[in-house]
Amino acid sequence: MRLLSHLVPGPLPAGGLLCTAGLALVAMPARFAPALGVELLAAGFWWWARASDEPAFQVPRWGWLRRPATALWLAAAIEVALLGPAAGFPMPPAALAFWSRVEAIAIVWAALELLAALPLARPFSDLPGPLLAHGAWLPALLPAAGFLLLWRQAPRWLDVDEVREGAAVLLLLTAALAALRAYGRRRWTAGLRWLVVFDGALAGVLLSSGAVPLWVAAVLWIGACGTHAYLLAAELGGAAPRRGPVMAMLWRMTSWISTAALGWPLLAAAGDLSPRRAVLTLVCGGIPIALASWVNVARLVEAPERRALARPVSWLTPSRIAPVVLLGGVPMALASAWWVGFAPRPLFALLALVPAVLGGALGLLSVHPAEAGRGALADRIAQHAARRLFRLVIGLERALVSGAERLVRVLAAPLRDLHTGDAQEYVLFLVGVAVLAILLPLLR
Amino acid sequence: MSARAVLADPALPVALALVAALLLLASERRQRPLSGSLGLLLVLVPCALALAWLDAASWILAPLVAALVAAGLARERPDPLPGECALKLVWVLGGAFALTAVGVALLALATGVTAPPEQWSVLRLGLSQRMVWAVALPLALLGGVVLLGGAPFHFWVADLFQGASAALAPLAVAALQALGAMWLVRRLAGLEVFGDGAVLAGALLRTAAIAAFLAGAGTLLLQRRPERRVGTLASLQGGLALAALAVTTGRGQLDAMVSAWLVPWAAHLALALSGAALLARLTPADPAAGAPGGHLFRRHPLSAFAGLYALFSLAGVPGTPGAVLWLEIARGLATNGLNGLLIALALGWLAAFATVMRELREGFGAPTAVRPERSVPLPARAALWVSGAGLAVLGAARLLP
Repeated sequence: MRLLSHLVPGPLPAGGLLCTAGLALVAMPARFAPALGVELLAAGFWWWARASDEPAFQVPRWGWLRRPATALWLAAAIEVALLGPAAGFPMPPAALAFWSRVEAIAIVWAALELLAALPLARPFSDLPGPLLAHGAWLPALLPAAGFLLLWRQAPRWLDVDEVREGAAVLLLLTAALAALRAYGRRRWTAGLRWLVVFDGALAGVLLSSGAVPLWVAAVLWIGACGTHAYLLAAELGGAAPRRGPVMAMLWRMTSWISTAALGWPLLAAAGDLSPRRAVLTLVCGGIPIALASWVNVARLVEAPERRALARPVSWLTPSRIAPVVLLGGVPMALASAWWVGFAPRPLFALLALVPAVLGGALGLLSVHPAEAGRGALADRIAQHAARRLFRLVIGLERALVSGAERLVRVLAAPLRDLHTGDAQEYVLFLVGVAVLAILLPLLR
Repeated sequence: MSARAVLADPALPVALALVAALLLLASERRQRPLSGSLGLLLVLVPCALALAWLDAASWILAPLVAALVAAGLARERPDPLPGECALKLVWVLGGAFALTAVGVALLALATGVTAPPEQWSVLRLGLSQRMVWAVALPLALLGGVVLLGGAPFHFWVADLFQGASAALAPLAVAALQALGAMWLVRRLAGLEVFGDGAVLAGALLRTAAIAAFLAGAGTLLLQRRPERRVGTLASLQGGLALAALAVTTGRGQLDAMVSAWLVPWAAHLALALSGAALLARLTPADPAAGAPGGHLFRRHPLSAFAGLYALFSLAGVPGTPGAVLWLEIARGLATNGLNGLLIALALGWLAAFATVMRELREGFGAPTAVRPERSVPLPARAALWVSGAGLAVLGAARLLP
């Protein structure tokens, strides 16, 4: 047993191992892999939470992660027992359609929870993860898992129209809230966590719109989410991407371009919709994209060099190579989309660029303000308003959820009363049910 | 005889469950006099025999085993809890058997014969009034439904797990539930010739199964004591047997269902309950969030995993032999278009899954630097291993050619 205790790794590597395996499984197309993957992810967070300094606080906080895992187990069970080739028995068409819909709902539910798109655990990105040293970075894993799930399981939910449309609306709302929250937060790391949520939600809308092939949406998401995840990870290790004016500008550009590239196909494809839906898409998609672009450019503040004389380092540092890698896929993905038939109307292609360009330009202006003071004051007031608005939305959602919880508790109260513990009541109950069993057939 | 046939024989898991019970009796030898242990042995062996030869079990075995279990519990002194449990069992099962006897007598009076297949043939002729058999049939089935322990009759199962010795409860509950299922099989034999009766019995069984799954799922999520959670999981297993009967009743496939599903189900139930009930005794009851783990989990994590495997199999977690039993019933319900019952089954399964995952997390709790000084008795750990390994063998048997 002592040997076993030596073999079990510490909390950090053990949780890391579980989360890595979980993300790998989520990306696999096998039947039980996504469910097992999210279960491992939940287990990783639990492992970190129980080993943290405040397990009584951290364990319940991350307990919600079992919910998406449960939804995915249900989807996997439906696939194995009823729908997949392993089932191998004739099923009535109506039942087949019903269970296909249930499976799609379960998958989308799990993905939306991870992407903070349901009111149950939406503000999880506001707080750092369960480990003190690396906690700021950890919540970014969850939206990434959510998008991977939507992408890899796309054939199981995109064909169900009402599920696809419902998911698109919820994801668009999440993108707007995430951009608003990223703008409202003062801390750059908290803002970055919300930008990762924004990337996942916007990429999810792109998937459900069907504007570009699935893999193109995935490449564009990797560019945007990868940029923000790298920036977040770098904040824990010296903030290298913000050191010096050149690096700061390079990463501002990377962050802005990757976000713009992710949003552009979605807005450009609005030309193929009815005029009412086109306007709705342009407005509802454009405002969050503009806000996120502003945050990408304006909030990446150049960090002062800590040393009087900068340490001589190789030109090829990860912080210099990463933008090349992250941006490399963007033109390739867009060119491929065009190659396979994505040809938006010219007017909409130009209109789709406006939010990102406007947001980026305004962001650049606030980095180098022409008149100091007034702009900063306006920014502070707007930030305050954004925080108030976000809290209002979350407060309303929480009130609705707690109301529903109270209702369930009231309805479930009779279940507790079944366990009064008095044997006499058991017999009375038995007689009552027996009488009911006699009366019911007679009433038929 | 092939390896698969040997491994799939219900006698093997039942024998392992009996071994686990004997090991527990050995670990409790200081708390119980030798006569007490011998008394429990006199209850355990008939329970195991009834489970091992379930397909040959007569209807009279159910009240006999129930009486034996109640007598075994009543002998457990000085602890008052088993005695109270025996009292409840006598009242509940005694009442159920009395009502069932009324139903059986009414059917005999209405038809003039006592064998159920002959009764259905007579009723098919329409010589008896509908009111008589419509009252008698549900009453005649009541005993089996109560023995299966599905909600709303689930309280006696949870009571037994909380009140009785961990050596006695698993085999006693498994035997009573299995005999309840066989009671229903015997009563429903040949019902396919009597269409109206088949419709009525099917509706009753479906309603009972839905109630078992829904109330079981709701109750399971509210349970705080690990022993009662295991009891409610056993109730869900009763719901599973009711669903299996609802699928086959009136279709003339009862015998095939008994050998293909009911006998393996009963054997699995005995073995899974053996591990799960013992694990529940060693799991902290309703600990605070972030509290340290249980004694067993901190001192003997591998033994805890063996017990958890049994608990997982009871809940039908994928990868365990128990999951196969749940999936087979789900497929049967889907084929017959019983969507309402399938939804209830899915909810019951999800509640069971969520509960065992909570049990795992609460069991291991938060890590502490303090290692428990005293170890869990070796026979208790061996019982966990016997149950876990037996279930692993059952699972492997399905993979053999």
